[in-house]
Amino acid sequence: MTLIQPHEKSLVSPYFAFYLIVSMQIGVGILGFQRYIAKSSGHDAWMTVMIAGVAIHALVWMCYSLLNNSGGDLVSIHEQLFGKWVGAVFSTLFFLYAVFLALTALRTYIEVIQVWMFPHINAWGIGFLLIFVAYYFVSGGFRIVTALSFFCVLIGTPIIFLKYFALKNSHFYNLLPLFDHSLMDYYAGTKAMTLNFLGFEMLLMYYPFIKNPASSHKWSQWGAFFTLCIYTLTALESFAYYSQGQLKHTIWATVTIWKIVEFPFIERFEYIGISMWLFVILPNIVISIWVATRIFKRVYTIKQKYSIFPIMLLLWIGCFIFKDRQFIDALNTYVSRIGYYLIFFYIPLLFIIQRIVLKVKGTKHAKI
Amino acid sequence: MFGFSKNKAKKKKQQDSSAGASGGGDITFAELIKKCEQSHDFVTFKKGVDHPFTLYYYKAMVNPLVIHQILLPQLIQHTDVSLKKLEKLLSLESTVYTNDVQKIQNSILTGSIFICSEHEKGYGILVPAATAEKRTISIPETEFSVIGPKEAFVETIEVNMNMIRKRLPIPELQIKEMRIGKLSKTRVAILFIDGIANKENIETVTQRIEKIEYDHIIDSNYVLQMITDKQTSIFPQLINTERPDRVASVLAEGKIAVLVDGSPSALTGPTTITEFFSSFEDYFLSWHVASFFRLIRLFGVLFSVLSTPLYVAVLTFHYEIIPSDLLGTLIASRSGIPFPPIVEAIILELAIELLREAGARLPSKVGQTIGIVGGIVIGTAAVQAGLTSNVLLIIVALAALASFTTPVYQMSNTIRLLRFPLIIFAQFWGMLGVAICSALLLGHLLRLTSLGRPYLEPIFPLRLADFRDALFRLPFNKQTRRPEHLLTQDPNRLNKQRVNKKDDIDE
Repeated sequence: MTLIQPHEKSLVSPYFAFYLIVSMQIGVGILGFQRYIAKSSGHDAWMTVMIAGVAIHALVWMCYSLLNNSGGDLVSIHEQLFGKWVGAVFSTLFFLYAVFLALTALRTYIEVIQVWMFPHINAWGIGFLLIFVAYYFVSGGFRIVTALSFFCVLIGTPIIFLKYFALKNSHFYNLLPLFDHSLMDYYAGTKAMTLNFLGFEMLLMYYPFIKNPASSHKWSQWGAFFTLCIYTLTALESFAYYSQGQLKHTIWATVTIWKIVEFPFIERFEYIGISMWLFVILPNIVISIWVATRIFKRVYTIKQKYSIFPIMLLLWIGCFIFKDRQFIDALNTYVSRIGYYLIFFYIPLLFIIQRIVLKVKGTKHAKI
Repeated sequence: MFGFSKNKAKKKKQQDSSAGASGGGDITFAELIKKCEQSHDFVTFKKGVDHPFTLYYYKAMVNPLVIHQILLPQLIQHTDVSLKKLEKLLSLESTVYTNDVQKIQNSILTGSIFICSEHEKGYGILVPAATAEKRTISIPETEFSVIGPKEAFVETIEVNMNMIRKRLPIPELQIKEMRIGKLSKTRVAILFIDGIANKENIETVTQRIEKIEYDHIIDSNYVLQMITDKQTSIFPQLINTERPDRVASVLAEGKIAVLVDGSPSALTGPTTITEFFSSFEDYFLSWHVASFFRLIRLFGVLFSVLSTPLYVAVLTFHYEIIPSDLLGTLIASRSGIPFPPIVEAIILELAIELLREAGARLPSKVGQTIGIVGGIVIGTAAVQAGLTSNVLLIIVALAALASFTTPVYQMSNTIRLLRFPLIIFAQFWGMLGVAICSALLLGHLLRLTSLGRPYLEPIFPLRLADFRDALFRLPFNKQTRRPEHLLTQDPNRLNKQRVNKKDDIDE
């Protein structure tokens, strides 16, 4: 396998881990996650957001423990634990997962555009354009990718303040009574929430690109916390604004709330909001593609500048295949489910296996 | 293989021929004189047939006073001295006794007089007597400031160096000089303060200037385009300034300046994008006012780049965005207009560009008239004829005005050009197109560097300390350290403790 340590020039400072985590975790999900989590746990669902968020903190800690012990990225962890060939298979699966994550973000955003802005626009046309923009960033290398995620947080964060407009029409009694659901309902809600928190696991691949990577842990945790706060705020606001009956029929709850935003010179904010959301979606697509090409480079020693084209083609074909609401919903559900198993079962599993291997080998070598 | 070597040979030949054009190569003194004499302004002068000394010089290049008042009196008095002795008699500094033909040639061409003696074959004295017409120092025009120094660079490099050294009378201010351009042999000087400026930056500039290969270098803007990091970019990556005070100030910050002979402007770098929106006058005003104006300028840039594209996007696709009260005004203004918003916008934008270009090309007095005539008469006529809407006229005029607030000329050109791709994207995909084009623009800006240093600093990479003099300007006692992105050898500007010491009440 190729070198683990990337070039000094492409390294980024530890605090960028914050932006990388946040920009990857916030994406299309936040535009319409309320309906999914409210399905099972109703007006209590904002608590499931917090539960899922806290779990993410633990998983981020696990990822760092894994990475610090191995000193490389996911591919080297796989190789150390499972050997070259089996490890390559697992890495390839993670590659597919990254591609699907990019596709989910891309296709869902295009759906939002189709629903809210241009009803008749071709998914493959606008998809091609967005993929090209993503290519422009990925081809700039990891520093540019990081910069994009930084600007994404910078441009996206002010949108939080628009929640003020909904506050005026909110009924916080909607949230009461607390603890109105069974434990299984909370579990189901937490599971449904996973898709929105997905993305932090890309850390497993870009970890070597952070200067003093171990010191970036606290920044990643802060990033996860920031995401948690944003999702909780959004959930609280939506549950206070909508009744549960309304929420059942509102696919894009956040975008619908934007409709009530009113300035003296802007009446329908959602057009601006959805356009600005491009900057929030782009890091999702860009980081995923970058991770996919990076895995390819590490496992099959194919240069990133070549492997990016087949990946872009795959994404583009995806735009043709996933045509309507049912398909896109299925894509989201399946990726969410895969992500759920990946982060709640696979990462802990890796963590345990590594601990055992370290214990066994520990007497002979200090580190693997 | 053979093709390759042949190609190489051809290249070599080309190089030789170009070397011939510039007059290099090994030639004897007699050949040199013969070549020079073909030109009518070359003078071979001998005082009387049996006088031993001969003078060779270009009439256009030398100061006649040197010949009349210094050379001729001595030559008439002493007819039988050796050249060495004569050199001592001349009351001139830095004369050279030489037989190096190459050196003689270069010196004659830049304004020296060569004195030859019949008794010493081949040898002679080079007497520097260059004359250069200088323009008087005038006030800065493109970077005008209401208060502060009113000196601008002129075309003579010595005068420019003098204006900078006058402001920084320290031995650490060093000047590296070289000549570039095969035909023009332009003098280029690299200025930096030793002990402050980053060594790597100096190295980068020196290397890039040495690498320049072109036949003539007329202006510093030639050099700017040749040593810039990314030549395909629309953004200027080095600052071009005509203010010696600005150059002195950035030198003290640890930047590097480049002066080019014959050019009334200096280049400074490495630079960041925020510097293009800071006028040097910001340092003369109180920091509150300066910060406010900087933010206004930044807002002006955003407005200038985005307003017309947003107009096109909103009126083509998303008129729902406009509140109903405002919609009435817009409809009234647009009702009789036969064109779609994009055509309307492009017509007006091009008209404004035409006016600006016409104003810039014409003599200043006529130019002003053109601006007024164009702005008022054509604009009003276009609206009354029903070709464009009032609202768009206001937007376009304001956008043009906003673009002129950018203090660096190159940057304000860039900003005016930037809106055209945005308008086209807005026409194709509305607001989303504007976002996509902005994303591409962001990607481009992120890739840019200035002398290898990130262009978007201090925003990315985020360096909070450098914000003290970027989007706004903090007071001087807060400017205790030099900008971090310059990686200066001495990051401290002043003693922080001493400056910010607070006395007790009644002390």
